[in-house]
Amino acid sequence: MTDSESPETDGGVADETAVRLPTRGRDGSALQQVGTVTRLEYALSIRNRWAFALTGLFASLAVLVVALGGQGGVVRSDAVVVSLVELSALLLPLVALVYGYDAIVGNDEAGWLGVLFALPVPRSRVVVGTYVGRLAVFAGAVVAGFGIGGLWLASTGRLTAAYLGLVGAAVLGGGAFLALSLLVSTLAAEKTHALGGTLLLWVWLALVHDLVSVGLIAADVVGPDWLPVFVLANPVTVFRVLALQAVPTVTGGMADVLVGSGLTTPVLVGALVVWIVSPVWLSSRLVARRSV
Amino acid sequence: MNAIQTTDLTKRYGDVVALDGVSLSVEAGTTFGLLGTNGAGKSTLFRMLVGHLTPDSGNVTVGGRDVTDAGHELREAVGYVPEDAGFPPALTGREVLDYQARIRGVPRAERADRVAAALGTVGLDDAADRRVGGYSNGMNRRLALASALLARPTLLLLDEPTAGLDPLGVAEFHRILERLREEADLTVVITTHVLAEVEALCDDVAVLHQGNLRFSGAVDDLREMGESGDLEPAFRSLIADAEGREPRATPEVQR
Repeated sequence: MTDSESPETDGGVADETAVRLPTRGRDGSALQQVGTVTRLEYALSIRNRWAFALTGLFASLAVLVVALGGQGGVVRSDAVVVSLVELSALLLPLVALVYGYDAIVGNDEAGWLGVLFALPVPRSRVVVGTYVGRLAVFAGAVVAGFGIGGLWLASTGRLTAAYLGLVGAAVLGGGAFLALSLLVSTLAAEKTHALGGTLLLWVWLALVHDLVSVGLIAADVVGPDWLPVFVLANPVTVFRVLALQAVPTVTGGMADVLVGSGLTTPVLVGALVVWIVSPVWLSSRLVARRSV
Repeated sequence: MNAIQTTDLTKRYGDVVALDGVSLSVEAGTTFGLLGTNGAGKSTLFRMLVGHLTPDSGNVTVGGRDVTDAGHELREAVGYVPEDAGFPPALTGREVLDYQARIRGVPRAERADRVAAALGTVGLDDAADRRVGGYSNGMNRRLALASALLARPTLLLLDEPTAGLDPLGVAEFHRILERLREEADLTVVITTHVLAEVEALCDDVAVLHQGNLRFSGAVDDLREMGESGDLEPAFRSLIADAEGREPRATPEVQR
């Protein structure tokens, strides 16, 4: 039944005796439906103050690092970027995973997913819209938060391309971590399972993976030609390498090893895009199996 | 004319048979109750009616269309209130409905009127601009009903619509449903384990027990099966027959 055919009643109920379904579904525009879900998700994050909390966190981090990098009177731009990258490699995935873990399972437990899935919108559009809405909030918080640190650097004339590159890498990396949390949220039956899953994922991605990778190479279990594979296999490592590429001198240690993987900027950016698209695509497929 | 027809519907969860060859029909323009104790298979059957679950065997038709082939059209034309419907607490009632109207593709020019009409029907006009987080359980249930009405449905599917409501909330919900029935020839299907709800609202009823259909017919016919002409003894007798024992009180079902 189309809108024009629907008879008006006070209660908004059609006055037909028989139950009639439209002969062909009025499949709403994918872009319009995804956009509607995206706008709601964005608005909810503003009202729930997630957007302000994330912006405040990233701004505090950037300001703290710039302030410490300026001790002694001169702000050392490269040191600021390297320090911010190393801290972000721990914090960005943690914050993104915690922000995104309840995207699907949380709405399910709250009873909202059941309402949404009863609407004439494919489930995949709900998933994609939810992701894009949260990505917009996260990316905005990264740009605004790190932007404040950038403004401070610019005020001393020491804003570098490396710092701007870091902001771009953080947006892409955050998108990848958020996509992974969406996948965990889609797979989890309960919120607590999703939280546990995302924290385990963080431990692997941020703490264990690089140690294992470099350890395997150092112990000659695999050759050094495996280093690029290990880098691409972890979005946190891809983010670190991408963000550090524009810094002329890195401080040594693990970061030096990883930057020496020889991967180019387009390859690294492409890898993060794959890390964004794959989990979102998988989530949009797997959500069809979710029981609500 | 049948609004809903299920044929030999079977669903298993591992070794548990949730529905075992259930065939029933719901006549258009009636209020139909799906009655049963907890675990009887009511919710499983209901989730199949809205296409959220696929049967292992058998089929479901709504409005003459197989549910598995017409899921999208079904969601366009049928109003469905899930048992545990919830809404983002930061949104107002009006925003919740406006959002759903946008998803449904309701044209901008008529969106506000359609939302206002649905809110008015369930008596939430005064609370429309309050955040849902501050709503009572009863108001939440009425908002869920308003969500279903946005579809301008000819079929309303209500899963335990008064679960958890106080007596005043239940009475208010019943009044709204009766008014809806008076305004339009609506087919309503309700799952419930409250006998009084069946008595108050339903023309026909199906009794499910452990996945099997024990009775399907007019409420009056079920009532006449009991010794005193009440629903409760008739219901108890059906359950006892199914379990091969003497009738006794069934605490899961409320009078």
